[in-house]
Amino acid sequence: MVLAERMRWIGRWGRWLLLATLLVYLFLPIVAVVLYAFSTKWTAHILPDAYTLKHWGSALSDVRLVDVALRTFVLAAGVTVLDVLLIVPAIYWQWTRNPKIRPHLELTAAIPFVLPYIVIAFGILSLSGQFIPTLQGTVWLLALGHVAIAFPFFYWAVDGAMAAANIPLLNEAAQTCGATPLKTLRQIVLPNVASGIATGSMLVFAVSFNEFALVQILVGARFETISLYSLDLLTGANADFNKLAIITCLTFVIVFFMSAASVYLNRGQTQTSRLVTGAKSTK
Amino acid sequence: MDSKVSIESAVLPSDGFQPRSLLQKVTQWLADWLPALPILIVAYGLLVAPVVALLIQSFLSQEGGFTVANWAEVLASRSDRRAIVTSLGLGAVSATSSLAIGGPIAWFISRMLPVQRSVWLAILNMATNFSGIGLAFGFVAILGTFGMLTLAFKELGIPFAPPAPGSFWGLVLAYNYTNIPLFILLTISGMGILRHDWLEAAQTCGATQWRFWRSIGLPILTPFLGAGWLLVFTWSIGLYGIPFALAGNGATRKVTLITLQISDILQANISGQGNAAVLAIVLLAIAALSLLTYRWMIGRTAQWF
Repeated sequence: MVLAERMRWIGRWGRWLLLATLLVYLFLPIVAVVLYAFSTKWTAHILPDAYTLKHWGSALSDVRLVDVALRTFVLAAGVTVLDVLLIVPAIYWQWTRNPKIRPHLELTAAIPFVLPYIVIAFGILSLSGQFIPTLQGTVWLLALGHVAIAFPFFYWAVDGAMAAANIPLLNEAAQTCGATPLKTLRQIVLPNVASGIATGSMLVFAVSFNEFALVQILVGARFETISLYSLDLLTGANADFNKLAIITCLTFVIVFFMSAASVYLNRGQTQTSRLVTGAKSTK
Repeated sequence: MDSKVSIESAVLPSDGFQPRSLLQKVTQWLADWLPALPILIVAYGLLVAPVVALLIQSFLSQEGGFTVANWAEVLASRSDRRAIVTSLGLGAVSATSSLAIGGPIAWFISRMLPVQRSVWLAILNMATNFSGIGLAFGFVAILGTFGMLTLAFKELGIPFAPPAPGSFWGLVLAYNYTNIPLFILLTISGMGILRHDWLEAAQTCGATQWRFWRSIGLPILTPFLGAGWLLVFTWSIGLYGIPFALAGNGATRKVTLITLQISDILQANISGQGNAAVLAIVLLAIAALSLLTYRWMIGRTAQWF
């Protein structure tokens, strides 16, 4: 009996210790980054020597940072709009007119999960060099690349929403009433899958916003995004951890907001897309 | 698809309608495919074709003829071989430690009260959003020369230096920041399969907890844990941004990985692109193989749902 009780005691403490360690592990890097955003000098003690707000003022008035943020934002927004415009009609058509589209979309949607982004980036670089050299190094090629790697997130979100809304039935009703496909899409389909489109859009935005491999390989310094600027502030000749901390905080808040909103909109549906996103955006 | 048939029969003259002229055939084909064409072109053009191009490039010589020299060179090169082995090792160590830590934690969280559980799930989800270069910086900020932990040990007088962010174990720590939460989120649904009655039934029959886990718990959970391991492994070997930011460049680099090796060749823009293509295909093959195994494992979990 004594032994069993001791075992239970060890089990309870072991469990508590494991969970507490995980919490520390998950929060420590975040705490360190936030402290950097407010610290004066931090080279001697566990905590910074003193705290200040001056980095925020200088970061937010830094022209390069504002440019970089705008560029990243416009790119992510453009990629999102493109994905919406290209994919929604395709999914609508596969549900209502031509089911043969489905295997093609499902096959290609699996690729960004098998292939590391660096391989995709290298492949695009090599292929474009052979056939369309004029596009090389342009932001258009990068945007297309982002449209391609983010497309699965959007596809699954909207495909699920169309299944849930029973689009074939709604479509048939609309057609019986004499609506054209375009009118049906605008007035019947879109309102019914709006939450799926919003979810997918936020995931696409987050992927493009935080992406590093394609940006670095396809355009590099010609189109500096937040990822590239962060890298420069971390490892470059004039590294600036305080400014980097501010950028990291802002990026984290934006990406977290996007993903939390998409989880909220998507509540009740399957979790897969959300889980998969978290992993992929690290590449 | 009943609805589809009825729509088509409403739109087209009859079910037996055969387009006669070429023009009609083309029109018919366009009507079936046009709305999907743009995204199919983007997907095949920027996801499928590049891989095919890399595969071909890995067998092309400088002059454009067929050769296996690239493959021979990569397999003979000490640094490329080390990169492959290190990538595999890093993926395996990261996945195994995620399993060893994430597995028990997933079990604990699955047994918590709903409120407590949703708080934990929210924290884990939040952690998966801290990623890329920002995450790399987070680990420099705690493990670097002036990192929080490094300074803490120094100030407390403990003669222990945490692993440098660019070392193998530093990378494991940074990778696991995403991998452990991910592993927990992936396997937690499987933990619900193990019912508390079964543990009680086993105990009634005189089994110890250890015996229960060895004979009932682990065999049931193996496909779930295995699938989680494979996914974490696949994702880890493909990571690029974090190791690039942490491992440093050139001579200061302590760890060579397949992804870093590819990037080195591309950045140097020398004539070794054939070798980079070989490394890319190696990476692709490893990822594809482990994802196929993953699909097979997931198939084995289906019986429980």
